[in-house]
Amino acid sequence: MNTKKPFSKDIIYLENVAEVTDKIVEKLRIDVNQKLRRFGGVVGISGGIDSSVCLGLAAKAFGPDKVTAIMMPEKDSSPESEMLARKLAAAFGVKSLHLDNITGALDGFRCYERRDEAVKRVFPEYDPRTYKMKIVVKQRGLFNNLPPMFSLTIIAPDGSQKDKPLHTNEYLQIVASSNFKQRSRMTTLYYYAEALHYAVIGTPNKHEQEQGFFVKYGDGGADVMPIGNLYKTQVYQLAKYLGVPQEIIDRTPTTDTYSAEQTQEEFFYQLPFELMDRFWYGYENGYSPEEVAKVMGETPERVAALYNNFERKRRTTDYLRMEPIRDYYRG
Amino acid sequence: MNIAEIKQNVQAYISENTFASKDKITESTLVFKEGFLDSMGLVMLITFLEEKFGIETTDADMVEENFESINAISEFVSKKLA
Repeated sequence: MNTKKPFSKDIIYLENVAEVTDKIVEKLRIDVNQKLRRFGGVVGISGGIDSSVCLGLAAKAFGPDKVTAIMMPEKDSSPESEMLARKLAAAFGVKSLHLDNITGALDGFRCYERRDEAVKRVFPEYDPRTYKMKIVVKQRGLFNNLPPMFSLTIIAPDGSQKDKPLHTNEYLQIVASSNFKQRSRMTTLYYYAEALHYAVIGTPNKHEQEQGFFVKYGDGGADVMPIGNLYKTQVYQLAKYLGVPQEIIDRTPTTDTYSAEQTQEEFFYQLPFELMDRFWYGYENGYSPEEVAKVMGETPERVAALYNNFERKRRTTDYLRMEPIRDYYRG
Repeated sequence: MNIAEIKQNVQAYISENTFASKDKITESTLVFKEGFLDSMGLVMLITFLEEKFGIETTDADMVEENFESINAISEFVSKKLA
């Protein structure tokens, strides 16, 4: 008998948040204590919703005294993140809170210098001391078979903006140098994890995992990922249930990667998460484009194009999720 | 450069950069829809076309009809060169 529920806008919501939270917490405790044989968890917190929920889950799983929260700002980070991180740690009773500014490490890697060199090739007038920059996707929409193009935006001290499409070398150099940020954070988290004999609790959610919106061996480097199967809507449900401070819940998700403010929708997803969640749910649970289109006020053709887009995104980001390939010659 | 030469160059580029044999990607294969090229592939393709053929692409050019297949890309380049 087919028991699949008809598709609806509410289908995305967890019916029993307390029960789901308990299950995740229980599994987290078993995984970390019994499988990984570690005493507790280290969580990198950014002032964003995903890391906040992970801290709350870890505090419930191991007890607040077996959880260490690490803030790792750098010179492009939002200044309010530190204040939010302190409130968050206090909300969950986590006393072990460390502030490790990674700007010096990034200078050592020549992260900013390499990035700015590429930006200047596109905009010679760019001065990193006074200008801000970000990469944005050209919004052709996800209902299109052609992937988005990336463009570089610079913001002058007087607030005026310039935008140019990015070519291969500059795009790759900006991304590769920016990825030092996530990888430096991962290295810092493992320092604390090893010093305390804890596990690193990774913070990517379902979309980040499956659409490849993470840095391999950066924020994708962790021992466990307790919200890796949750849609963003569901992460927000858990946030409310766990008692994440309202200021964090109300913040627009940002990438916190480039010097100019940038939303995740603007950089990667191209759809507000409320819509993305529902379309992705339909796609991954085998709902037909016709059924989803009817509920979401779209045409079946556009939803089918969106599904193709999801499929392509998943396939083309397989590399990020792959373990090192080891099945070579065995003597 | 005539359309046949453009097509030959585009085909060679796509074949080399997707690691797919020439018989897998025909002139009418939908290279993006069928997943041979992704968003990085589009950035690289545009860079290749601009450098190889000396054309400039604008935001308005960035539509599926211009890039969906080797045929479409070659037509697009040919029009730009005209």
